[in-house]
Amino acid sequence: MRLFQRLRNKSSSATSSGGSNYAYVTARVRAMKSNLLPKETYSRLMNMDLDEITRFIGETQYKQDVDELARKFKGVDLIEHALNRNLAVTFSKLIDISEGELNYLITEYLKNYDIWDIKTILRGKYYNATLEEIKDNLVSAGQLKYNFLSELAEKESYEHVIDTLSNTDYYPILKNYDGTNLPEIENQLDKLYYQRLFNAIGTPKSSDRKLFSKLIRTEIDIKNIKTMFRMKKEGVEDGELEDLVLDGGLRLSLKEINSLVPLPFADFINSLEKYPYWDAISDFASPDMESLVDLETSLTKYSIKSAASFSHEYPLSIVPIMDYMINKKNEVNNLRIIIRGKAVNLDDEIIRNQLVI
Amino acid sequence: MGTKDVKPTRSELIELKKKIKLSQSGHKLLKMKRDGLILEFFEILNKAKGVRNELDDAYDNATEKIGIAEAVEGRMVIKSTALALKDGPEISLESHNIMGVVVPKIEASSVHKPINKRGYGILGTSSYIDETVDSYEILVDKIILAAEIETTMKRLLDDIEKTKRRVNALEFKVIPEMQEAMDFIRFRLDEMERENTFRLKRIKA
Repeated sequence: MRLFQRLRNKSSSATSSGGSNYAYVTARVRAMKSNLLPKETYSRLMNMDLDEITRFIGETQYKQDVDELARKFKGVDLIEHALNRNLAVTFSKLIDISEGELNYLITEYLKNYDIWDIKTILRGKYYNATLEEIKDNLVSAGQLKYNFLSELAEKESYEHVIDTLSNTDYYPILKNYDGTNLPEIENQLDKLYYQRLFNAIGTPKSSDRKLFSKLIRTEIDIKNIKTMFRMKKEGVEDGELEDLVLDGGLRLSLKEINSLVPLPFADFINSLEKYPYWDAISDFASPDMESLVDLETSLTKYSIKSAASFSHEYPLSIVPIMDYMINKKNEVNNLRIIIRGKAVNLDDEIIRNQLVI
Repeated sequence: MGTKDVKPTRSELIELKKKIKLSQSGHKLLKMKRDGLILEFFEILNKAKGVRNELDDAYDNATEKIGIAEAVEGRMVIKSTALALKDGPEISLESHNIMGVVVPKIEASSVHKPINKRGYGILGTSSYIDETVDSYEILVDKIILAAEIETTMKRLLDDIEKTKRRVNALEFKVIPEMQEAMDFIRFRLDEMERENTFRLKRIKA
């Protein structure tokens, strides 16, 4: 609890102070970036069998995580937990070494992990899952540290969990949880994340902040497109869809989204042709499409690649840090896709399609 | 029924005649039931083959979907999302009758749920999870259907076997033994009548 208070104090002071250490953090990030696996590694990994990949990952920067978790997990689960742990440690390090406004921006960006962990704990309490089950699925890559999350998971009921979070920004939403409306609470928490992130950007004045804003707002656009496709394909009522769309998109304003919502599925797809995201989805989007998986993968690739395209600009800004975070997450995702895909004997073609290289 | 246990009386003969008639009509009915059950069995067998194939396809599809979801989203994400789904499908079991064989009728409710009623939030999840849930919902449906059809098939098979045993017992044991007993009584009664006639003739002489 004390740790959590300390974190909160740090966070609240960060928002008010402006003394950021961009030079130091970007230098550290450059060094950390050199540890990322080169692109050609993935094609090599695709030609290895499961044991070879496991050994390879155990010899990289993930070695320590693999060694430490080897007592508890084995096989593919061990690798996945090691990857997630390494990601959590890396992102926590970024929060710890950054100061001022930079710390505030990084923290806000990584709060989706905090929200994910809170959701996992609430789901676990709802399901009456064992403590071990809940703890095993936590990824403390955000502001909330693993010890605090473990304490939360140990609480007897969801009421106690929510009471413990009463000093957080999530409390106004969590207090409405009555044990039956979990999906609604989850959606509101996710909306809060994007809303806070959008507010954190504010009105960008400098060029680097404009670029950061562009990156976040593109992510919001893509999230909205994915949500609309999922809901419209299932024929969910327009009212419910309107509640799920996020404000602050780059190309798709709330007004434009609201005009897309009532359209029939076929017209909705046609209306997307005028947006730059069409190139990414044109091959998959059709009124009688059976699966959204390829479309979603393509949009995710678009998002990551567009972020990477301006990563070299403004070396002393939030941009290279964001680029590193995106690439690190992408590396973890790619490694997991390969190892899990091979473990369940997915076709190499399917695995390759999911990789973002 | 051995001939030794039979009392060679006229009333026993009448009783046996009745029993043989009843057994023969029972035998005929059971034969008809057996043939009917076999016809019914073959119809269900074809259906069962189709359902089994569909079940295999649904299982393969669900396995692939969860494989992709685990790869892209991670097993931790899938497990965490699964914790949000506590309600299982409600299964109601009724029975109906095929030629006297009680077979189950399994109905399940709330297997298919719309995306917004599944228990997890939309914004924090993806279509990988939606499609995995979809494929498992279809799999559960197919399992329920296969359970109903395959149980029906097993019950029918049991009953065909039972009916066949009864038909054979009547045809090769019960009816022939009763006919043998009837012949024996007839023979004894004729014999007794002849003895009587002979005795009367001797008294007269």
